[in-house]
This record gives sequence, C-alpha cells and structure tokens, in this order.
Amino acid sequence: MVPGETRNPLTELRRGVLEYCVLAVVRDDESYAFDIVRRLASAGELVTSEGTIYPLLSRLRRDRLVTTTWRESDAGPPRRYYRITDDGRQALDGFALDWARFRRAVDAILAVAS
Amino acid sequence: MEPEALVSDYLGRLERAAQPLPADRRGELIAEVHEHIESALAEAGSRDEVTARNVLERLGAPEEIVAAETGSSGEPAAPPPVVERPPRWGPAEVLAILLLTVGAVFLPVVGPLIGLILVWMSGEWTTREKWVATLIVVVLLALPVLLLLGVSVGSGSNGSGA
Repeated sequence: MVPGETRNPLTELRRGVLEYCVLAVVRDDESYAFDIVRRLASAGELVTSEGTIYPLLSRLRRDRLVTTTWRESDAGPPRRYYRITDDGRQALDGFALDWARFRRAVDAILAVAS
Repeated sequence: MEPEALVSDYLGRLERAAQPLPADRRGELIAEVHEHIESALAEAGSRDEVTARNVLERLGAPEEIVAAETGSSGEPAAPPPVVERPPRWGPAEVLAILLLTVGAVFLPVVGPLIGLILVWMSGEWTTREKWVATLIVVVLLALPVLLLLGVSVGSGSNGSGA
C-alpha cells in the first residue's frame, strides 16, 4: 500500500488503539455508552463515526475486558454502565507500555527524517 | 424531511445492514444506537431537522457500524460466495461413460459392469446419480434375460398344454 493512497493512515491507527482508549475512559470510573462516546469525541481525533463504538463495546464485553451493570437513570430508560475488569486493566497497562515505545520510535524516525 | 422520519429512516437502514448479525446482537445494537440518538437529541435540547441530521452524521453510516461489528473494513459484509463446482472429469470418468455406452456394444455385459465399478469409485457423481446409472445398466442387462425366460416359460407351458 502506498502512503497517501485511498486509505487514511489515521483510520488504521484508530482501529488499533480505540479499544484501549475505551478501556482508559472506564479505568477509574464506570461509565455508560453515550458518556464514553462523548469523552472520546471530546479528546478529538479518536472517533469519526460515533456509532462504531457500540460494536467495540460489545467486543470488550465478550472478551471480558469490561463488565456491565444496568442502572436506573434520572432521565429515560435504564443505562448499561461499563467497568474495567482485571483482565482489561492488564491489557491496558500492556498497551500503555507498547504505545510509549511505539510513539518514541515513530517520533525519533520522524525527527531524523525532517 | 421530518426529524422523526430521518431517524426512523436511519434505523431502518441499520436494521437492513445488520441482517447478517445474530438476532440477539442485532436487536441489541439497534437498541443501543436508538438510545444514542435519543440521548444526543435530548442533550442538544432540540429535535429539529438540523439537529437530527447532525446527530445521525456523527453516528456514521449504518453500514459502517455493522462493518465494525463484523470486523470487515468498512464495506457492507458480503455473504460468503456459493461456489458451484463444475464437474471435472478425469480419464476414469470418461472411460466409465464410454464403457457404459459404446462399451455395451463392443464388450457386452463386461463393459458396462466395469463402467459401473468406475462410476462407483469416482468422486464426481452423487450417490443418487450412481444408483440411477446402476439401475439403468441392471435393467438393460436383465431385460433380454427376462424376455428369454418369458419366451421359454411361455413356450414351455404351451408345450406342456399341447
């Protein structure tokens, strides 16, 4: 694949890191889907199509990286709250190390190249 | 277009796109997206057409959401192609056909029988087709014998009656 051709590299990057960003959002506090989407969106760059978060959340549930609890909400129907599991925390910690190394490597190469 | 119509139009597209998903997950995904739309409209504090369009645009195309679910790359998930394998006849199959047809003339009885053995050993025909071939050969072989038997029995009974 030639860089700059048809595919946006950011799309590929997002696909790889988004699930860890979701885990990071629910690392310290449980949260419901709409709130998770809003917090990811407010970080900028991370989400282009908000709807694609829902398949991602479903996969995280299936992989037991998060658990969910239904809670009554003040407005509207009950909401499903997402909370990180021990497995999720472990996956997130591992990714944080990988990402730091990856970012340093890319930054170093980009600095040399420019 | 009315905002309500925009939303139901969107959810209808999502439902159609989500057909390949398992029924329980399909219902769940549609409910989640529906709830997202309601939350986003409530947050915006307005249900006019512009607000609805913005909410739906931020969600992304229904097909894209389903593609994220199935792990494909953004294109709607295509069902696996049904491969209709054309029959591939090797030398054994050709020989079987020849023995079953012209073989009956040049190698009476033995030809068609060898042909049948080749047919049953081949993987290119269904069991049903093999039985049909067997039945035809057996009937055709048996026919002259039965006719001869019939004639001899008939003439025998005639002879005893005379």
